[in-house]
Amino acid sequence: MLIAAICALIAVATCFSVSIGAVKIYPADIFKIIVNKTSGQEVFACTWEANTETIIWNIRLPRILLAGIVGAGLSVCGVLMQALTKNSLADPYVLGISSGASAGAVCAIIVGCFDFMGGYSTIFGATLGAVLSISLSLAIASLKGKITSTQLVLAGIATSALFSALTNLLIYGYHTGSDKTKTAQFWMVGSLSGASWSKAKYVAIVFAVAIVLIMLFARDLDMLLLGDDVAESLGVNTRRIKMVIILSATVLTGVVVSVSGVIGFIGLVVPHIVRSIVGSRHKALIPAVILSGGLFTMLADALSRVIAAPQELPIGIISALIGAPFFLYLIRTSRTR
Amino acid sequence: MNETDKRAELQADMHLWVDKLNYRIEGTQVLNEVSLGVEEGDFVGLIGPNGCGKSTLLKNIYKTYKPEKDAVFISGKDVLSMPPREMAKEVAVMAQENSIEFDMEVLDMVMYGRYAHRKFFEGEKKSDVELCRRYIREVGLAGYEQRSYLSLSGGEKQRVLLARALVQESGLIVLDEPTNHLDVRFQYLIMQTLKNQKVTVFSSIHDLNIAAMYCDKIFLMDKGKIVERGTPQEVITEENIEKIFGVHSQVTTNSITGKIQVYYLPDER
Repeated sequence: MLIAAICALIAVATCFSVSIGAVKIYPADIFKIIVNKTSGQEVFACTWEANTETIIWNIRLPRILLAGIVGAGLSVCGVLMQALTKNSLADPYVLGISSGASAGAVCAIIVGCFDFMGGYSTIFGATLGAVLSISLSLAIASLKGKITSTQLVLAGIATSALFSALTNLLIYGYHTGSDKTKTAQFWMVGSLSGASWSKAKYVAIVFAVAIVLIMLFARDLDMLLLGDDVAESLGVNTRRIKMVIILSATVLTGVVVSVSGVIGFIGLVVPHIVRSIVGSRHKALIPAVILSGGLFTMLADALSRVIAAPQELPIGIISALIGAPFFLYLIRTSRTR
Repeated sequence: MNETDKRAELQADMHLWVDKLNYRIEGTQVLNEVSLGVEEGDFVGLIGPNGCGKSTLLKNIYKTYKPEKDAVFISGKDVLSMPPREMAKEVAVMAQENSIEFDMEVLDMVMYGRYAHRKFFEGEKKSDVELCRRYIREVGLAGYEQRSYLSLSGGEKQRVLLARALVQESGLIVLDEPTNHLDVRFQYLIMQTLKNQKVTVFSSIHDLNIAAMYCDKIFLMDKGKIVERGTPQEVITEENIEKIFGVHSQVTTNSITGKIQVYYLPDER
């Protein structure tokens, strides 16, 4: 029921999002173009200008798709981080993992230190950055094996400050292009303006693999929420499930950040709202979070395109405007431990 | 029979067998050569003052702390050699309540006790759900299945955790002060529910009268060592209470239960 409702909303949001923009396009044309493109035949006679087709098919659609996957991916990473730390304040942005991935991606692009990976050097760099930052962040956050909210937030601040500084250092110190500020802004605040089919495709593949892997361990994730010791005594191989979480969350964050920069708070806001509706059983939570995270980000992206039209705001600004007050609210209400 | 053979035999015979276990936390010797055996079907209590090492000993048994090799055996097998799933089939644990951040339904919480019996891809079996409902009834929480766990009172939470330990259907249950913070009625309800099961019970117990009432055997711990072992009558004595707990007392036999009863006496008499 809920899932059907969200799917319908996503369909509406897609149509809306495709139709808005500098060039006005009629919804009927959009539908016809999509049908023509997906079927590979000319089902409908071409009554629109050729560049309309280009705008829709090559610019707006991949962007919307990418927004959906990026949002879904970040939300799932949020759920995973929350299971790992047993804390609802955890998400890739708060823990500084996004910043780590961003620094890794910038390092790969500007310094070219992972060129041996060929076309995958950016993803590889971003994932490596995510791995480094998650290790650092969790090491600071856990005090005698326990992770408290205070420690977690502090660890996140320190980790993101460090990796953001690295990102800026690389961009201002080594970037040869003339658009340093713009590049820095992309990696710090996040934007979906560079979307393309090829980007959407590889993010989608990694995303699908990660989700399948996570869903296999849905029950283990549920039990991890009881605490590591309790889960272990009930028979859960906690070391294995933690490896699965860290592996999928870092790769997913790495890939998402490599195409969108650091978009904050999505992994915090979406899971929290969805949890209050479907509960914390991951078998239901993860699909619901994927859909609502996708929807949320598509809407945020649409908003970022209209709010200052014809200029475009980076989506990270929108997500932070919504997410930061929410984060403050969570800090106030989270059980004090 | 020489010493080694005797130990090997005990290790094989006893349901739970701890052999010269040492454990240090930050340089402090918390457990000092602890040895004990619990026979199949026995209800065994572990008593001792705060900080004597009771919890540490229990945590070594259920591997929240990593024990030494060849020191803790359950059904003759070194706990270190058992993967989590196998371990969960052998021993159910009811540790002191830990706070959780995310809410869940009572039935789900109890269902987690069946984890070790379910295969990787297996869904919820009907028989498992029925078993969970049965134990939820047994701990007096019928009708609570769909309630949110975090909304329950301390006593109700403890009973949910007991139900979860029971649905594990392992032969041995290890409990860390299961009646802590509970009012009298729930203290007795929890102990009585345990007593009704056909399982071996090893539990640390705060309240000496409760220990005397339900235990077949008692181990008394002090400063990381087992200092007394035997029946409640042998262990819970005025001398031991004076020596270990530093409190004057009178120990009598209750005329109704036939169990021993401890009265604590003020210093100035």
